Amino acid sequence: MTGRNATQSRRRFLALGSATAATALAGCSGILGGGDGGDGGSDGEAGTTTGQQISLSDFRGSGPLVAQREAPGGTSIEDLPDLSGELTLYLGGGEGGLYLDLIELLEQRYPDFTANHRLEASSDLANTIIEENEAGASPADVFMSIDAGSLGAVANADATASLPDEALSTVPDAYQDSEGRWVGIAGRARAIPYNTNQISESDIPSTVQEFPEAAALENSMGWAPSYGAFQSFVTAMRLIRGDDETMSWLQAMQDHGITTYDDEFRVSNSCADGELAAGFANHYYTLRVQSARENSPIGLAFTEGDAGALVNVSGLEIINGTDQADLASNFVRHVLSAEAQEFFATRTFAYPMIPGVAPVGDLPRIDELNPPEINLTELADVAGTVDLLRDAGVL
Amino acid sequence: MGTKDRYERLREQATTSERDSSPHTLLAVVSLAISLLLLAPLVWVFLRAGEIEFARAVELLTSDTTVSVTLNTLALVTGVTVASILIGVPLAILTAQTDLPFKRFWTITSALPLVVPSYIGAFAFVSAFGPRGVLADLLSPLGIEQIPTIYGLHGAILVLTLFTYPYVFLTTRASLLSFDGTVVEAARTLNHTRWEAFRRVTLPQIAPGIAAGALLVALYALSDFGTPAIMQYDVFTRMIYNEFGARRLDYASVLSMLLLVMALGILAVESRLSAGRDGAYVSSGSRRPGLIELGYWKAPALLFCGAIASLCLVLPIGILLQWLLRSGTGYSGGGFAFEAAYAWNSVGLAAAAAAICVVAALPIAYLSARGTSGVSSLPERATYVGYAVPGVVLGLALVYLGLRYVPFLYQSVILLVFAYVIRFLPQAVGTTESSILQVDPGYIEAARSLGYHPLSAFRKVVLPLVAPGIAAGAALVFLTTMKELPATLMLRPTGFETFVTYIWLVQGAGYYGQAAVPALVLVGLSGLSMLVILRREDTS
Repeated sequence: MTGRNATQSRRRFLALGSATAATALAGCSGILGGGDGGDGGSDGEAGTTTGQQISLSDFRGSGPLVAQREAPGGTSIEDLPDLSGELTLYLGGGEGGLYLDLIELLEQRYPDFTANHRLEASSDLANTIIEENEAGASPADVFMSIDAGSLGAVANADATASLPDEALSTVPDAYQDSEGRWVGIAGRARAIPYNTNQISESDIPSTVQEFPEAAALENSMGWAPSYGAFQSFVTAMRLIRGDDETMSWLQAMQDHGITTYDDEFRVSNSCADGELAAGFANHYYTLRVQSARENSPIGLAFTEGDAGALVNVSGLEIINGTDQADLASNFVRHVLSAEAQEFFATRTFAYPMIPGVAPVGDLPRIDELNPPEINLTELADVAGTVDLLRDAGVL
Repeated sequence: MGTKDRYERLREQATTSERDSSPHTLLAVVSLAISLLLLAPLVWVFLRAGEIEFARAVELLTSDTTVSVTLNTLALVTGVTVASILIGVPLAILTAQTDLPFKRFWTITSALPLVVPSYIGAFAFVSAFGPRGVLADLLSPLGIEQIPTIYGLHGAILVLTLFTYPYVFLTTRASLLSFDGTVVEAARTLNHTRWEAFRRVTLPQIAPGIAAGALLVALYALSDFGTPAIMQYDVFTRMIYNEFGARRLDYASVLSMLLLVMALGILAVESRLSAGRDGAYVSSGSRRPGLIELGYWKAPALLFCGAIASLCLVLPIGILLQWLLRSGTGYSGGGFAFEAAYAWNSVGLAAAAAAICVVAALPIAYLSARGTSGVSSLPERATYVGYAVPGVVLGLALVYLGLRYVPFLYQSVILLVFAYVIRFLPQAVGTTESSILQVDPGYIEAARSLGYHPLSAFRKVVLPLVAPGIAAGAALVFLTTMKELPATLMLRPTGFETFVTYIWLVQGAGYYGQAAVPALVLVGLSGLSMLVILRREDTS
């Protein structure tokens, strides 16, 4: 049972006694979701002996948000060395599961390449890697996480190896570690989803500090304080304005009336439902709601220059002690290729990290956002934020 | 009463003659070794806690947060335990001792909620009763805009009770079915009312059974992480998890120690309640009390059974089906295709854990049931400590110890199964022990007087009689292993997914539709093992 590779058995649907029908159903809903093998197969099935012909359209998503896109700029995977060998990948965060499609595409492109993955919450995996590193070595070759804070925690514990210059040079400085220990692969902007039937964009203040005074938002906002992205946002506020002001803001928001949710997808759905006028959530949840529910009354606003405008990143780092250093470096370059960045933009609605690829829909370009000037590695200080949230009665 | 005296006398004889036999010493050594092996990982908690300065430890322990979370946890554990008794005991009496219509059906529906993982139950309740949930949608056309919030202490108690009361139901029912019914009839002939007969005769007899179930419920409530987290109620497990997440292992381990102390407290209370269990479990054959006729209580009784079954089974399954139907493109996601291999992995792990638990439980249960001194039940008590440890604490302990001392076992199935055995062994010990207690010690005595060695007397006489109890223990371990999440997440081999890791992953990413089918299959498969537990009654 031990070493079975999940990705290799992905397309296998074995009968399992009474569970046959049900598992088959599960398989179907995966294919209907447009993710897995199923739609890649339509134009990619004419495989060659060296692997399937994977084209840009396989990386690109579909639907109204993706129509009419220009070809992406940047380094194509055609120009990169082939991937070959077995890589152990720790994949942090439930959202990270979306990245499995990308990994599968790469596995289809390169038959000699296998990525064995382990998917858990990003902070849990960061802790695991740190424990493993302290004990001598980690089985992980690469840590791919949805949160710069967890990447920073691993880096600060001296558990990373160096990244290739070719990868670092393509990504803006703001979205990589100043010492080059991790690099961003997809941007996740903090944003304000709002119900377009209830309020208009002009009702939403341009800084988060003004939210507790905004009359239009009284008793009609939602947040998900146990969610990692929200905690990163509060950590950013602490870095910018200090603990006392952050505390006052948290209390003022509660006095203003705010509803707590488990995650930000629910916050965004509740805005579309009209249960909330507005909420705090990462930007791509709104795009996911729009993509799933056409003409739903949900809009997206951004604040400026403060913690509310934080752009956090999903990123990669190579783990100390890996015996696959070359493969890991080459993998990082593939994830920053034009095709992979197009994947992040069109399938996960994230901000691409290389200048040649544009974000989807009406999203402002990444250089049109006004994120605060902070070092994302410092977002690793989640402990103080959890304390503060608890003291404020939010958690 | 004469029957009982006779059995007491036989027990006395049996224990006297077993006292000086060497198998007992061997049994004690084996049992002690097993319990020490299982408790060893917990040493890690003390090692980590030992790294903090004394003053800091005192400061942490006496902080406002720690105090309020302690009170929260106590309130939750007490509430869930009391509520489980209030639901489990009446259901057990109704299905075991009355002329309730469709008794077999209600027996199954009353036991079945145990197969629903409590975090899935919690999600279902939030979906149904949360803001903008199913209930709110149903009521809003009627002009009802606000419904009381499901979040908080009452929500956590409600959900945990509904999915753990079957422990009380099963143990109470087992003792009801096994105790000497002639005693009740005797009391009735002495002009006791039915209530008096219950209070003075039945209740003392089944109290240890109730206590055994309540112990499992209390320790479950203490160690559960998912439900309080989803119901947004601050308890130890949630704090410990947050502290681990924030990499403050010192605080986390201090909190873990406090949690262990609370578990020991619960064990001590249960010990006192079940002190009189020796008599209670001794079977007196088929002399069951006559059925109680419900009369015009029949309708309320049916309503009660129906209401519990609706809340525990119809509601979560209905919500899962709704997730399935709602799964449009926004709800199903790529990269998350369910694979049959995950199901096989789950079943394989659960079967391995069940098999090992059964083997490890036998000596411990036998020693505890037939032991001659107070210390003979120590290994049995010790196994409960592991059950009370939250999976996340155990997971971290095994990650830490595994990496340093047995690196070749790190992220192996072996270490994962070891974690399951630590957590779930007491369930197997409990059912095995109660079966052994029901076997007339006179049988062994008889076998030995025919010249059998104690061990072969056990194998030939006791084992066949306790087999149904062992099977029930195995089934219980099997289904709780199928449901276990945190330790599975942390200790599984890379690339090795199971039902629960998959369900956790997809729901964490907001793809509820994807979680529905595996959750339903999980409930279905676990339900099959529940039939094993209930079948035991037919043979005992």
